[in-house]
Amino acid sequence: MKVVFTANGMSHELDLEPRELLADVLRDRLDLRSVHIACEQGACGTCTVLVDGRGVRSCLMFGVQVAGCEVSTVEAIGSPADLHPIQRSLSEHHGLQCGFCTPGMVLAAVELLRDVPSPTTAEIEEALAGNLCRCTGYVSIVDAIAAASGTTTPGGDE
Amino acid sequence: MTTVEEPRQAELPHGIGAPVRRVEDPRLLTGQATYLADVQLPGMKHVAILRSPVAHARIVRIGADRVRAAPGVLAAFTGDDLAAVSRPFSHLLPMPTIKPHEWFVLATDKVRFVGEPIAAVVAQTRYLAEDALELFDVELEDLPVVASAEAALAPDAPLLYDTWSDNQYLTAAYSSGDMAGALSAAHGVLRERFTHHRVIGMPLEGHGATGHFDGASGQLTLYASSQQPHNLRTVVSNVTGLAESKVRVISPDMGGGFGNKQHFLREESLIAVIATQVTQPVSWVQDRSEAMTASVHSREQIHDVEVAYRADGRVLGVRAKLLADVGNPVLYFTPAAPPLVTSSLMTGVYDISAFEFELCCAATNKCPMGAYRGFGQPQAFFTIERVMDLVAEELGLDPADVRRVNMIPDAPRPFVSPTGALYDTGSFRDQFDTLLESVGYAEVRGRQQVARSEGRHLGIGLAAIVEATAPNLHGFAGRFGGYETAMVAVQPDGSVNVAVGTKSQGQGHQTVLAQIVADVFGVGLDQIDVVDGDTSRLPYGMGTWGSRSAVMGGGAVLKAATEVRNKMVAIAGHMLGVDATDVTLDAGCFRAGEQMLPFPAVADVAYLHTFVLPGGTEMGLSATVVYDPGNTSPFPDERGHMNPAATWATAAGAVVVEVDVNTGQVDIQDAVIVHDCGRVINPLILEGQIQGAFAQAVGAVLLEELVYSPDGQLLTSTLLDYAIPAFGNVPRLRVVHRETPSDLLGGFRGAGEAGIIVMPAAIANAVHDALRPFGVRITQTNLSPSRLRTLLRAAGVRCDPLAHVRLGPRPPAAIA
Repeated sequence: MKVVFTANGMSHELDLEPRELLADVLRDRLDLRSVHIACEQGACGTCTVLVDGRGVRSCLMFGVQVAGCEVSTVEAIGSPADLHPIQRSLSEHHGLQCGFCTPGMVLAAVELLRDVPSPTTAEIEEALAGNLCRCTGYVSIVDAIAAASGTTTPGGDE
Repeated sequence: MTTVEEPRQAELPHGIGAPVRRVEDPRLLTGQATYLADVQLPGMKHVAILRSPVAHARIVRIGADRVRAAPGVLAAFTGDDLAAVSRPFSHLLPMPTIKPHEWFVLATDKVRFVGEPIAAVVAQTRYLAEDALELFDVELEDLPVVASAEAALAPDAPLLYDTWSDNQYLTAAYSSGDMAGALSAAHGVLRERFTHHRVIGMPLEGHGATGHFDGASGQLTLYASSQQPHNLRTVVSNVTGLAESKVRVISPDMGGGFGNKQHFLREESLIAVIATQVTQPVSWVQDRSEAMTASVHSREQIHDVEVAYRADGRVLGVRAKLLADVGNPVLYFTPAAPPLVTSSLMTGVYDISAFEFELCCAATNKCPMGAYRGFGQPQAFFTIERVMDLVAEELGLDPADVRRVNMIPDAPRPFVSPTGALYDTGSFRDQFDTLLESVGYAEVRGRQQVARSEGRHLGIGLAAIVEATAPNLHGFAGRFGGYETAMVAVQPDGSVNVAVGTKSQGQGHQTVLAQIVADVFGVGLDQIDVVDGDTSRLPYGMGTWGSRSAVMGGGAVLKAATEVRNKMVAIAGHMLGVDATDVTLDAGCFRAGEQMLPFPAVADVAYLHTFVLPGGTEMGLSATVVYDPGNTSPFPDERGHMNPAATWATAAGAVVVEVDVNTGQVDIQDAVIVHDCGRVINPLILEGQIQGAFAQAVGAVLLEELVYSPDGQLLTSTLLDYAIPAFGNVPRLRVVHRETPSDLLGGFRGAGEAGIIVMPAAIANAVHDALRPFGVRITQTNLSPSRLRTLLRAAGVRCDPLAHVRLGPRPPAAIA
């Protein structure tokens, strides 16, 4: 079925099968390779994208459900030469290792800091509780987000 | 060698020792990395794999006719189809006590675990391929299931392999010193069983492979998310029958590995074989349930130990009987490798003269057991560190004192372990004292008294390890040595290419190897390009596993860069008209007295103005080197002695917990590690490695468990019922660095695994210590709330998980 939606500011009209997952549509139809798929069960948050500014798991939505919506992926957040402050902070605090969960983390953090500009450690942990990372052990991600927001964490160096 | 040095200040702001930001970060942060699923080849088709729904059955028939007629399907293959065009895997081990074993890319006669691959389909899309899987006509004849190691050894146990006499895949035994004498001289003997539960390393990016066979050139290109691309090339060459020169393996950016991607998974060779049978490129990306049920599980062992000790806590002898559940051992290299490592390290960091072990690796109808960060070491140190605490408890001594009495003395070095390992480490005792001071041991003991008087259950746990880094793989893989290969080329403009045989899975190798090269040449990191994971860039390589990359990859890169540097110094000396020994290279300039030459000027001469070169000098500036420290043994000697690792790292850990005896919840209040990996290359990355490994330790002990039903169905096959740590589950681990440089190039020792080897034992010791008033004895690695409540109830505690909801915070539990 025909679906019209916006992805990272560009309008797309696609003919989609109803069963195509949003994650697959973004990856395979629009070549947005930052959308990483790790569980396809909504458990890990790796495939998080923003739909009309709200974080969703793109493995739990069908592509046809974003008709008329604005979808944002990490491609729209920053570039290697011009990192978003959250991205820069993640690098400074070593808040990523393999990077597979990172695009989802960045988007979840962008959403958090938009709504809660100076979150506490508990608020950061709560907001990102649905995003799993197998590499870092999390504290460096919390430090990075806190630093990007101008707040501090007990072990952060800000 | 054993002198501890103050952590060195980096001489360059971006050289060895500097906490520089990673050069790989910008592309990872912006979604521009290329993981396996991002590799798109023109005309690429998609493979889905039919897997066994049952744990043990004879394959009566697999019909593919309906599959081949399905929409979008290009080809379908059964086990017999591919056995006819490929060669079997074998463990290749020459040991007399291992069963002969061969298997193909797909199951042929029988299936032996839920998830075992039995057929494959190639289709236009993964959706269509998955649809078509339902059309295979499969007839399986159920067989009785062997779901545990103990069941596998029962006299009437069903056999996994009809040609085997029993299910004992491998047995091994070893004896050193006088155990009988130790037992007769002992003040007491501790007899205890320790159980280590099954978990999975589970990188967030699963396995996957994409292959293309070019009929015109006869070349197979295989992309795979593999920790050991060159070794995978060798395996794929064996399985496909293609000359190794006609196989190229590329391991792109990896979304974690943790040992799981060390194993040349059957499916990687499956994709290679399928690629040779169709004209289009083919791709398979493992989904999460495939990763959980049918990749690589780890850790499951049972240890029965007998420990002879004196009244002062001195341990005279350890006898250990190990039983490992290796599942269906269809992994190359062998699933017996981690239990062999466990067995050899059971005496821990202690000087124990009498040591005996017996190991049995039992085959069962479960997912194969294999590598996960720590590789058999966490089990050894968990058991011996629990033993130290239990001996202390028996004798009414402080566990710290019992450790001190037994610890390996400071001299001589290397210390020869009972199994022949050569520990080239610093002082275990000094490291342990640093730990006690860092955690405030005496102060915590004081707080514990106060807490107990208030009905709160505080405990402190200690543990210490010696860790094999940069090991040899001969004894476990039947091939593959401990050396490494690297190439360094300075280009005409002075920029530097580096290729290395190790393979980063997220550890930041591009950065740390560039820091090493920057130290040698004095150039900026932006002038250095490091690549790994492409077999076309280097003749051979050994990949990344066993904490070997800094030591072996770093050593090889350092050796190659130094060769090129020395040549450049000689050229610069000639150009400046001075002796080479009078030339220095710093900050990217060659200098002799007042004269100087920019780095690129010398590089330019070596390629483009070669008439300026000193006579007899070969053009160009590159070196491809092999680095082998040469101090590991491929096989045990006549005494059974073997040094498996090029150098050893050490760590000691302490954990303070409070246990809620109503819920069984363990709250980690403090965690400290004292860590010595020799010369530190990048402290930022190192601390990330240690914290990350600690998170996996917390997961393995307090959250994660793979649960099988009695009929061999995995009940925890999704991330919804297998709980890895999330935000808020992992406290901050405090890290204290010690630097005892190794004798190897650069003074490096390996890092990355200590956190998961030492901390599980420290957590368990702390939980036991917290629950001492109840007489709860911790002899298992699984300390999740429900498992702890079971132990507490068995000790007579009336746990009431909802008590705090009804009564307010933390009421003391009642003893029935």
